[in-house]
Amino acid sequence: MGALIRALAARLVQAALVALLVGVACFAIVELLPGDQAYRVASARYGEDMASGKAAEAVRAELGLDRPWPIRLAAWLGGIATFDLGVSLVSGENVAVELGHQFGATLGLSLLALALSAAVGIPLGIAMALRGGALDAGGLVVAAALRATPAYLIGLGLMLLIAVQWGLLPAAGYDNAAAWPLPAATLALGLAAMSMRVTRDAAARVLARADTHFARTKGLPESAVLRRHVLRNAGVPVVAYLGVQLVWLVEGVVVVESLFSWPGIGHALIHAVIARDVPMLQGTALTMGLLFVALNAAVDLLCLAIDPRGRRA
Amino acid sequence: MSAAPMLAVKGLSVHAGGKALVRDVDLRVAAGECLVVMGESGSGKSLLAHAIMGDLAPGLVARGEVSVAGERIDALTQDERRAFWGKRIALLPQEPWLSLDPLMRVESQIAETHALVAGRDWANAKACAAKDLGRLGLSASARQLPFRLSGGMAQRVAIAATMAAEAGLLIADEPTKGLDADACAGVAASLRAQMEHGRAVVVVTHDIGLARALGGRIAVMRNADMVETGDTRDVLSAPRHDYTKMFVAADPAKWPRPVAHTGGAPVLRGESLSAARGAKTLFEAVDVTLARGEIACVQGPSGGGKTTLGAVLLGLLPPQRGVVRRADGVEAWRYQKLYQDPVAAFAPYSSLRMALDDVVRLHGGEWAAVEAILARLSVPLDLLDRPPSQVSGGELQRVAIARALIVDPVFLFADEPTSRLDPPIQRATMELLRELAGERGLAMLLVTHDPDLAAAMSARDPIRIG
Repeated sequence: MGALIRALAARLVQAALVALLVGVACFAIVELLPGDQAYRVASARYGEDMASGKAAEAVRAELGLDRPWPIRLAAWLGGIATFDLGVSLVSGENVAVELGHQFGATLGLSLLALALSAAVGIPLGIAMALRGGALDAGGLVVAAALRATPAYLIGLGLMLLIAVQWGLLPAAGYDNAAAWPLPAATLALGLAAMSMRVTRDAAARVLARADTHFARTKGLPESAVLRRHVLRNAGVPVVAYLGVQLVWLVEGVVVVESLFSWPGIGHALIHAVIARDVPMLQGTALTMGLLFVALNAAVDLLCLAIDPRGRRA
Repeated sequence: MSAAPMLAVKGLSVHAGGKALVRDVDLRVAAGECLVVMGESGSGKSLLAHAIMGDLAPGLVARGEVSVAGERIDALTQDERRAFWGKRIALLPQEPWLSLDPLMRVESQIAETHALVAGRDWANAKACAAKDLGRLGLSASARQLPFRLSGGMAQRVAIAATMAAEAGLLIADEPTKGLDADACAGVAASLRAQMEHGRAVVVVTHDIGLARALGGRIAVMRNADMVETGDTRDVLSAPRHDYTKMFVAADPAKWPRPVAHTGGAPVLRGESLSAARGAKTLFEAVDVTLARGEIACVQGPSGGGKTTLGAVLLGLLPPQRGVVRRADGVEAWRYQKLYQDPVAAFAPYSSLRMALDDVVRLHGGEWAAVEAILARLSVPLDLLDRPPSQVSGGELQRVAIARALIVDPVFLFADEPTSRLDPPIQRATMELLRELAGERGLAMLLVTHDPDLAAAMSARDPIRIG
């Protein structure tokens, strides 16, 4: 129990630090962007043609953009502390409410991508560890190529091939189930490439270990050796590595959501940057940071579930 | 069935490429009998065991006849031979602590063999595992993970898991390696219990004490050949082959007794030292005094605090109470340590030359002096270009001694430096240490769990810890 509480407490502290750092960093980035913030907001609200100097001044006064930056920063951080993320400068909607809609779309996409990558990468990695040879060598090449290709290229490739060339699935959208496979696969391919290699190395190491040999010589059938001993032992580094992969996932979500017009946090983040919508930008970045911490906390718990050695240490 | 022995081996050889690692071995072991296969590392004794089991590493080829209870098994396919594992032939692995699944509770590791090998239903299998653990005195550890067990406990768990399906033939590969004296006695008792149950037992070991405790018959192997066989007690008391004579004479119980050390200025004095690990007191009010060139021994069970005493004396750990006094004007680094497992005491991917050269450069010494030390320790210089994994245990321990000698130590804390070495190598290493103590006035505190070795190395009463 102790280790469980410690792990969660550590992640809670991390979440608070992430909130503080992301808050300050977003604020600083928006401040340092060239161009007049009020003008960009006005053009986002009223359209490029309608954005006059007068409209910009009105926006500046309305949003208090003429206050000195330390006061605006303090107001923003105070808002985070009280879970008040403000209102979007563009739509005038409450940021927390908007994020609530988008969060579901991003979380669903992320989890589907993780599940797909595990479903593809882990069995392939184990097969490579067991068979070796050409399958293993080929897997290494494919994994390196996939990992080296940026997500937007993979996404474009899939779109061109499956949506445009073959017309099997829609290239964008969110409304129906057919819209999910392409963005999820784009994210999952990069993730699967890595989890395949990590699984392969972990399984190969466990297969060569004395305890696996003992499981065999004590008479267990090979299927039981794999199921009862190898999988769980190999699973420890694979799950731990998931935590590292989440970086790729969070980064990929921004690109993939924009590419597929996926109404999630990453998509909203890009729009907020373009519109200088500071509260929205800060809210999306904050949500992604906290999502990262939450998924890592889930990985921690999963590690403790697989490897009980850390539970009492 | 009664006519055929439980194990019959005829003309068995193991080759790697063109090289014979086991040559033309014949064996017969009847039910209820024990055969000890004794020899040093690299003699082929372990390979012989694995050739019988049928789990040789890839690249090794076995030829010859192997029959279990009258049934020839050497020509079977790998899958057919595997069907014998656990059910007809059981193998007790080396280093049981590493052979248990680190993530599975002890009771499940035994229960799964009852269920999946012996074919009991799971409820019954769990009951059998609980009964096994009770018989072994391990009921309290049933829900533990292996890392909570001592080496001796892990060995008992491995025996229970191995024998769940009651195979008629048990092969034990170095079952006492790395265990303390109490655990060794426990292993011998477990193996004898298997014989009393009518099983044939083959024990591969370099442990003369274990061979003596098991009795039965013995086969001595050297460089792939079986050089002598016979009744264990006869062979150990009156060996005929020169190699067996040398091997038996390497038993510390047979070494000449040391003379008492006299005189010499003290180099290290520990006064009423105490240490604790967490809330547990490891030792209390221990006094240690060593003069130049003097050897003393420390004895006690595993986990009792022997290594902690060394850390306190070397100044690596403050004592809870008491004082450690060193000789005036002697630098701290001239108090050195020799480790139990030489492989673990060197960086795995660096050459030994680099390991030694680092010390020379750190202390501003001369490489020529290192070569003189290596010559004194009979370490061939071409060994130095290899990583530690490609050097034998005895040679590596001598390189470790050389590394300690570079800084001209006045005190050496030798933490079971030969517990993983074969008796002849142990004897050579210990004699070398004793000579060095005399030549260089090097005081030495030797940790050992072997009372015979302690008596052979020092006339002083050993310091008891734990």
